[in-house]
Amino acid sequence: MNRIYQFIDERLHLGPLISEIANHPVPDHANLLKTPKAIIYCFGGMVFFILLLQVLTGVFLMFYYVPSPDHAYASVTYIRQETAFGGLLQSVHRVGASAAVVMVMLHMLRVVLTGSYKNPRELNWVVGVFLLLLVAGFSFTGYLLPWDQKAYWATTVGVNMIAGIPLIGGFLADALRGGSEVGALTLTRFFVIHVMVLPALLTIFLAAHFFMIRRQGISRPL
Amino acid sequence: MSGISSLPGSTDKNPTPFYPDHLFVEGVAAIAVFLVIVLIAFVWQVPLEEMADPGDTAYVPRPEWYFLFYFQLLKYFEGSLAVVAIVVLPALTLALLVLLPFLDRSAATGIRKRPLTAALALASVLCIAALTALSVLEDESHLYTMDLPPVTDEQIAAGEEIFGRFCQICHSVDGKGGFMAPDLTQIGARANRAYIEQVIIDPQIVNQATIMSVIPLSDAERHEVSAYLSRKK
Repeated sequence: MNRIYQFIDERLHLGPLISEIANHPVPDHANLLKTPKAIIYCFGGMVFFILLLQVLTGVFLMFYYVPSPDHAYASVTYIRQETAFGGLLQSVHRVGASAAVVMVMLHMLRVVLTGSYKNPRELNWVVGVFLLLLVAGFSFTGYLLPWDQKAYWATTVGVNMIAGIPLIGGFLADALRGGSEVGALTLTRFFVIHVMVLPALLTIFLAAHFFMIRRQGISRPL
Repeated sequence: MSGISSLPGSTDKNPTPFYPDHLFVEGVAAIAVFLVIVLIAFVWQVPLEEMADPGDTAYVPRPEWYFLFYFQLLKYFEGSLAVVAIVVLPALTLALLVLLPFLDRSAATGIRKRPLTAALALASVLCIAALTALSVLEDESHLYTMDLPPVTDEQIAAGEEIFGRFCQICHSVDGKGGFMAPDLTQIGARANRAYIEQVIIDPQIVNQATIMSVIPLSDAERHEVSAYLSRKK
């Protein structure tokens, strides 16, 4: 094991990179081992964990899911009834989405209450606001995918609301739906946004979020 | 660079390293969160409704719970005012969020030294909670519609008698009755008559885990009970 690491390290010189990621000190006020109050500094990390869980469960759901009006509902039924632990898998993905929203809210409240968005961390706060919008986007697009009554009509209402925006609303709604009604094109669009576009954006914004935390450190105690 | 160690006010003598100590704590927390999620997922089987039917325009959809507050907000801005709820309020909220660190520029981080920010945060949380609660309450009573005979005084009296015989063992009203089930003293303010009828016909519609059994009442008797309960406000 050690020799493999040495082989790689001699060529890529990973040492400084790893110590940059792993060896930074964690201040006492954010350390659960030293003070129970540090639990409020946990929420952000938990959001990240839940997002990983969503990616993992999402991958397994995607093995079976078919994004077409003819097959979407049947493939979800298949996942729930025929695959091993499929029902639980879908449930975890759905509950995980709610859990992510709860943790995002708690994380945001913590940052507001500890004033952690202040100089020098203004930019990280702004990135965080975009991450909040991305999570909302995941939720909105994911809701349509099972293609049941609730999915279809909730999306219809949601897109109709977008259509209510003056001037650009009509165009935006048609672009999102791929036409004047929620249908086959809407489903493929929402699917691609849910599994390709948003994860790509999420990766970029999360990377920026983490980079800034490491660069600026955890904010000092109250 | 404003790293943790160089921050003013940092008094930590032996800060814990991120790896492995802190990562271990995060791992334990993550496992706890994971177990809670799986437990909820296991107990609450995610409902899958009928397949989408684009022709069924009578269907009234509900958004996910964390969008309910917004759904409720939309109800207060109808017609030409809708633009307020669709554009103005979201745009203002978003602008306020993005600009927060540039508006609140003082060095103070303590919550007591920032009363305005604290008040705004608290007000936002309370607004969202209140709108969500309103949405849930209105939902329960307006989802159900039924053709019911008009309420008469005889019905109410008969309903009270039947309620005493079948329901009061578990449900209490005006301080009398059992503790096994929710108090129904003000049920008429929370639910309409059709909703009450639905619960008597099929208790599981409220809560899949309810222990309430189906009460063997005739249609006329059920109307009497719902008439009586719908007047309890």
